[in-house]
Amino acid sequence: MGDGTPATPKRRQLTLEQRHALYTALLIAPATLFMLFVYAVPLAYVVSVSLADKTTGAFSIGSYQQVATSSLFYKVTWTTLQISALATITSLLLAYPIALYMNYQSARVRAFLMLLVLVPFWTSILVKSYAFTVIFGQAGVVNQLLGLVGLPSVKLLFNRVGVIIGMTHYLVPFLVLTILTSLRSIPPDLPRAASIMGASKLVVFRRVVLPLSMPGVIAGSALVFILSLGFYVVPALLGGRQDVMLANLVEFYLREALNWQMASTIAVMLLLTAALFVALLFKTRAGAALAGEQRA
Amino acid sequence: MISSRHIMTWRGVGLAAAIFVFVFLILPTAIVIIMSFGDKRDLVFPPTGFSLDLFRRFFAEPGWTQSALLSFRIAILSATLSLVMGTAAAIGLARSRFRGKGLVSLFLHSPIMIPGVAIALALYLYLNMLGIRNNDARLILGHVVMTLPFVLVTVSAGLRHIDETLETVATVMGAGLFTVFRRVTVPLLAPALTIGWLFAFVTSFDEVIVSWFLVRAGHMTLPVKMYSSIMFDISPVLAAVSTMLTGLTVFACIVMAAMQKKEA
Repeated sequence: MGDGTPATPKRRQLTLEQRHALYTALLIAPATLFMLFVYAVPLAYVVSVSLADKTTGAFSIGSYQQVATSSLFYKVTWTTLQISALATITSLLLAYPIALYMNYQSARVRAFLMLLVLVPFWTSILVKSYAFTVIFGQAGVVNQLLGLVGLPSVKLLFNRVGVIIGMTHYLVPFLVLTILTSLRSIPPDLPRAASIMGASKLVVFRRVVLPLSMPGVIAGSALVFILSLGFYVVPALLGGRQDVMLANLVEFYLREALNWQMASTIAVMLLLTAALFVALLFKTRAGAALAGEQRA
Repeated sequence: MISSRHIMTWRGVGLAAAIFVFVFLILPTAIVIIMSFGDKRDLVFPPTGFSLDLFRRFFAEPGWTQSALLSFRIAILSATLSLVMGTAAAIGLARSRFRGKGLVSLFLHSPIMIPGVAIALALYLYLNMLGIRNNDARLILGHVVMTLPFVLVTVSAGLRHIDETLETVATVMGAGLFTVFRRVTVPLLAPALTIGWLFAFVTSFDEVIVSWFLVRAGHMTLPVKMYSSIMFDISPVLAAVSTMLTGLTVFACIVMAAMQKKEA
């Protein structure tokens, strides 16, 4: 620069900042345009379909009125919230102890245990669901074992229990990862100081470690709850008729009732519900920390 | 007062809980893998003998191999497209400051948080309206939407590890912005790019719901074929598919872990 190399007149007019801005625009444009036309516009189209009359196509809030008076919609929404809350709680109860356990292991052991968490995290949800049908089915491994010791068989499939087991299996790794990150970020001096001051291990855990890991617990639980709201495969494969969730209802209206408007309306309601909880998450300190972590 | 005996008990409880959870996470898939090598036409546990019959059936039945090949094709193309667009966007976002940058970033990441069924329905209705009937095109468009955010996350994380002064030095030494990108940024980013591509590949290869909505009759991806088989006929071939799919996953997982180590 400034060494007098001749450049085309047009080139010379662009300052370094302008060229930088041009490159930035060129770098960001493909992804942004793609997502605009293949993601944002289709979502907007769904909203417009939900607001169109089934026969005339004119603007109408008929589908929303129908949803508002549909007992099926309320029942399924309630089921969705219940299952999501229950799956979040069971996942949390399973994830916290192992995150805590991993936190106190040597780096080498922790890396190995991390692999045991990551492999199920990456395993296809269909492989997991299939495994559960094989293991918990009427003639499955669990019932075979129960039969061997002379116990009556139990129904663990096509009901709420099956859905919760399947979802928990999917969600635990997410929570382990967020909680472990939180636990690892606690300065080791704090628990050490507390125990030097005479606190027992249990008190150190309850008064120092647990409170300081709460951001991870809250952010992780919220993330897992939001993921649960949109679950489709697990309730369809492991649940019964009583365990239909909102995502399954969308498919029902599209494929079986052949009602695009209702399918779109329920999808919009599901989107709004998820968005509401995302907004609530970002309102909390933990959410702000999570967002900040991503930006930093 | 809590005696040391109590602490031992608590430690025992913690260990037992940890073992229970790890068993819960690993055992179901492990059992299916063991069963897939059984020698009976129907799945039994424990297997009575060793055989590769179910794997032979997988390769003998054209439906399964076709689905697997389709999934590979879609996953490779989607991951590559996502990597190119996602990497460019990640660099553009990381190395600039402009108004509305947060909003663009939030928008590009948002498919992670949005229920898959909403994206699936949206694309189904939209592509039908546009009259896009080509099976590959429908799937690739859908899968790029689902995988691009993950490329963005991994490449952005990789960019944070890079010493930005190296780029500055190259610029000061007279390299143009594109040369800096090609000769400095990309080589330093190689591990992150590998992770991002694999992340996208696995996500696309395992994607169910968008594919379930978008595939045309007779052109099922592997997960769609598995889904309908679990739903309708529970073929024992599923055990063999599960074993191969898990093998692929573990392989991808190990490569990603190795790359992460390289990055740090």
